[in-house]
Formats: sequence, structure tokens, C-alpha cells
Amino acid sequence: MGSVDKEVELKNRKGFWRESLNPWLVRAKNNPERVAYVLHRVTGFIIIAFLLAHILETDSPVWTQYAPINGLTAWSAWSYIMHVESAWYLKIGEFIVAGSVFFHALNGFRLLLTEFFGVGIGKPVEPKPPYEAPTLSAPQRTWLYIVFVLSIVLWAFSAYLIFG
Amino acid sequence: MALDFEAATRIPPKMVKIRIRRYNPETKKMWWQEYEVHAHKGMTVLDALLYIKENIDHTLGVRYSCRMGLCGSCGMNINGTPMLACQTQIAQVASGGNPVITLEPLPSFPVVKDLITEFTSFFNKHKSVKPYLIRKDTEEQETPKGHLKMKPQEFIEIFQFSNCIFCGLCYAACPVTAADPEYLGPQALMYTFRYINDVRDEGHEERFAVVDSENGCHRCHFAATCSAVCPKAVDPAGAIQALRSKLFKYRLGFYRKKGSKPLPPPPEKGERKPLPPEAMLVPGANLEQLEKEKVVISLNNK
Amino acid sequence: MAGKASNIQLWQYITAIMLIFLLGYHLVQRLPWLYNVSTYDQTLTSAIVYHQYRVGGWALLLLAYVALFHGLNGVRNMLFELHQGRIYNTVINVLFWIVFIVFSIIATVTVAKLPPI
Ligand code: SF4
Ligand code: SF4
Ligand code: FES
Repeated sequence: MGSVDKEVELKNRKGFWRESLNPWLVRAKNNPERVAYVLHRVTGFIIIAFLLAHILETDSPVWTQYAPINGLTAWSAWSYIMHVESAWYLKIGEFIVAGSVFFHALNGFRLLLTEFFGVGIGKPVEPKPPYEAPTLSAPQRTWLYIVFVLSIVLWAFSAYLIFG
Repeated sequence: MALDFEAATRIPPKMVKIRIRRYNPETKKMWWQEYEVHAHKGMTVLDALLYIKENIDHTLGVRYSCRMGLCGSCGMNINGTPMLACQTQIAQVASGGNPVITLEPLPSFPVVKDLITEFTSFFNKHKSVKPYLIRKDTEEQETPKGHLKMKPQEFIEIFQFSNCIFCGLCYAACPVTAADPEYLGPQALMYTFRYINDVRDEGHEERFAVVDSENGCHRCHFAATCSAVCPKAVDPAGAIQALRSKLFKYRLGFYRKKGSKPLPPPPEKGERKPLPPEAMLVPGANLEQLEKEKVVISLNNK
Repeated sequence: MAGKASNIQLWQYITAIMLIFLLGYHLVQRLPWLYNVSTYDQTLTSAIVYHQYRVGGWALLLLAYVALFHGLNGVRNMLFELHQGRIYNTVINVLFWIVFIVFSIIATVTVAKLPPI
């Protein structure tokens, strides 16, 4: 791209926020893949935030030896933290993370199949009216519905475990 | 977007309100303007825009050419979905309960004026993937002696992708292009795949080098909105995923390109073969005599 | 560098496959009836957790490395999409490695220096 085109392009951009909102602003019929794309990103963020906190939390038997909390060290500090975390509002957080993990994992598996192995996407066909793209009715669409259903089932199961 | 045949048979609301996001490049102002148009059966959004331009407001900027979904100039955001104005029926996007149609220029493109958008970077990206046949046998290409062989099923593999009309709807709909102005975009990546998939082409290495970059095919996250809005069922989303798996194969050393050699030239024209006996004249018939005879064709002949 | 984008993406897929198994293992550890207890909370007592570290500490450590790489790399890729210039890219790369290394060290310390119960 020449620098002039870039200038025209940058001058006319409607701003970072508006463009970042594109996943929500553009509407397209017959496109649950886009829902999956947005969810995949959002759940990814939830999981990485949880992961960083989780590593610090599971390290508590070690770090409390140097910085005790409430005068508790090592495994007694661990028990204390677990006790704090069994509060209902933190359990809701845990429940959200569990749902995120299930969706992200299952949808990630579908993406692995389509993007890396190139299976489940539509084969080129002779285009005929009404011009429906083959990928939108290819096996990946079925897999996507399975992903949605399965992650909801697993999520319900995790609710039973976490709150039960 | 798949064609909606049934919409053309429906009767649209009598009066539709068309809301247009307008932009004046001279004053650099952007505003919303509303027009009321009498709709009739079979009227497209482009028809309505032309009606406005002719009868209500001559300053409205809209680009179109073929009016039949072939040139790809009239793409715009209709009620939030990138669509071709000439292929969208009023009855498809407006109803008696909600007779408002919102028109915006395509997102992710700089606006020139009103509904007209700037396609330079779109076409530059298209150019950057070398959208032409690349052959190693340059001499044969300069002075071709035969045809390049291509089986019908090999043709079908690229036909769908060659149907692209460069309307930019896919590019406007893609969430990644919106965030990343340097992303090659669905159209350019789909065209890369079209040429890599072509048995006659030998330039796959150069093209893989172009798309295997930070702004190349790995930016795509398979939201498939590009395929959902494409008016020609070109299916860029599927093409990009297939391109990626081919690129991985190529990088891991498993990729084998299907090739095509020029066919031997057709045989020289030989002596003319005599006609078969059933094509010969009936024995005894006089050709000169026959030519002189008048032929009378009468329609009232009983 | 030729093929760099592909290599990064390839590592993303490799770590994804590993995560399916490692995370599956880690989630199974929270099923109460495998440990003869009745609720999820009881699988988090220090005795059971200590036992789990002794048995599968290496797998949990590997899980931490792989998940950190996969997650941080994903975030890094998303931030790259915003194209704010060279300095921005360098800062993101440096931050990626700092966070990755620091948290990997914390995870390693957890398994290596675990106090006895
Ligand atoms: S791929 Fe489809 S939507 Fe994209 S430019 Fe070509 S015809 Fe238009
Ligand atoms: S499939 Fe890829 S190119 Fe198409 S809309 Fe989605 S991210 Fe964009
Ligand atoms: S005017 Fe040519 S595609 Fe609409």
C-alpha cells in the first residue's frame, strides 16, 4: 500500500471504538459463526484473567510462608483462602469461568478442524441462485450447533457441581 | 446475502422512509437525512435512491452502474447489513410495521461522499496477492502452441471464486478488517486461494509468501460474515480456511501442487475428406436445373 | 521472517491440543466422587490438593506453561490487530515475555517448593 492511500484510509476512519464495535454493529442473517467468534474472544479474555489469578492463588501455600495472611502460613493459609472463595458471589465467578472454558475448548476444537485440517468447510460448487455460500451449510455448521448445545449441558453440570 | 426471490413478489408498504447517512467532503460534515418515497412492487433500494436523486434531492451521491448485481458498485449498509442496493427489494427490508430503511456507506471503507466509498486500498490489497496466472514456461506463454489442460472438476474448483464482482461487501462486514486496516481482507485472500487452487498456475510459492504474514490469512478467525453477505456465493470464509490448511501443509512440507501442462497443438488441417454417400446427390438429379427452378412458399397452402 | 505467522499459529494449535488433554485431567480432579467425598468444595481441602500435587504435579505445571502461552499469545495477537506502530508492537512483545516468564516461575515454584502438609 502506498503512503497516500494509507493517509486517505486513516483520515477517513471513523475512530477506533466505532470500528471495534463492528462485531456488534454489522448485522448478517444466517451467521451464528459470528456469535461464536465474539464469544470465543470474550471467553478467552475471561479465561486468561482467571488463569493469572489462579496461578497466584494456587501458589498461596508457598508465598504465604514469606507473607502470611491473617497470621496463617502454608496449608492453613490455603484452607483459609478456599474458605473465603466458597462465598456465593465468588462461586458465580467460578461458574462463569467454567462455562467459558467449555465453550472455548469445544469451539476451539471446531476451529482446529476447519482452520488447520481444512475439513467441514464447503467444497466449491457451481454457483446457482439463490447464491448461498456452501460453507454456511457445511458440516462445520452442525458442529457449531453441537458446540453450543454441549457447552450448555456441561455448563449446567458444572452448576450442579459448584453450587450443589 | 442469498437472494430473496419471494421478496420480489411481496407488496412493499406504500410509503417508505429512507434515512441516509450523508457526508459532504467539502465541509467535512456528516448528517442524517430522511426522504419519503412511494414504493411499488418490485422496487429496489437503488430504484428508490434514483427516484430521490431525480425528484427530491439532486445532491445525493450514489454510485451504481449495471443495476443488476454484476458490476459491484452499489454496495452499502442497508439496515446494518452490507448489501447491493440494486439487488435488495424494498419489500425485503421494509414492512408496513417498520417502513424505515437506514442506508449508510460501507463500513471499513473511507467515505468519498454520501454513499460513495473509496476502494483504493481494497484494490491494492487485491493486487498485492498477484491475481493473475504465473507460469514458469515463459517462452510457451509468449508464443503459445497449445492449450493448458483443465478438467471440468478442476474448473469447478475455481469457478465459484472467479465469480467475485469486487463489491467489497465481505470486506465491509468482516470484524477483523474493521479492527485492522492492514488486514488483507476476505476478498484478497479468497483470490489467493482461487489462483493457488488453479491447476494452470505455478506461482503458489510467491503467493504463500504474501499471505503468510502478520496481516495475512492467520488474522482471519472464521466469523464467516463475509460468506453470509456475499451476493455471489463466492464463499470467502471457506476459501480462507482452505487456504490456511494448504499453507500449513506447505510449511510442513506436505503440499503437492497439482500441475497442468500445455496440450500438444491440434493436428494440421489435412485434405478434405469426401462426403459420405448419403450426403451425395440423388443419382440423375441435375443441380443446375434445380437451382433455376423457382421455390414458392405459400402460407395459405391447403 | 518467512513463515513466522504460520509458526506462531501452529504453536497456538499445538498448545490447544495439549490443553484439551491437560485441562481435561485438571477438571476431572474436581469430581467429588473420585475422592470419596460428597461435594466439590471438599475436593479442595489441603489433603486432597497436596495429594494431587504429589501425583500429577508435572502435568499441572505443564498445564500452566501451555495455558499461559496459549492465552497470552492470543491476547498478544488481538492487540497486534490494533496497529499502533512499531513501538507499540515492541512493548507488547516485551510485556508478553515478561508476564509469561514471571507467571511460569511462580507456577514452577509452586510445584517445586510445595511445603509438606
Ligand atoms: S467475495 Fe463476494 S462479497 Fe466479496 S467482493 Fe467478491 S463478490 Fe463481493
Ligand atoms: S471468515 Fe475471516 S475474512 Fe471472513 S469475515 Fe470472518 S474473519 Fe473476516
Ligand atoms: S449497480 Fe451494479 S451491482 Fe448494483
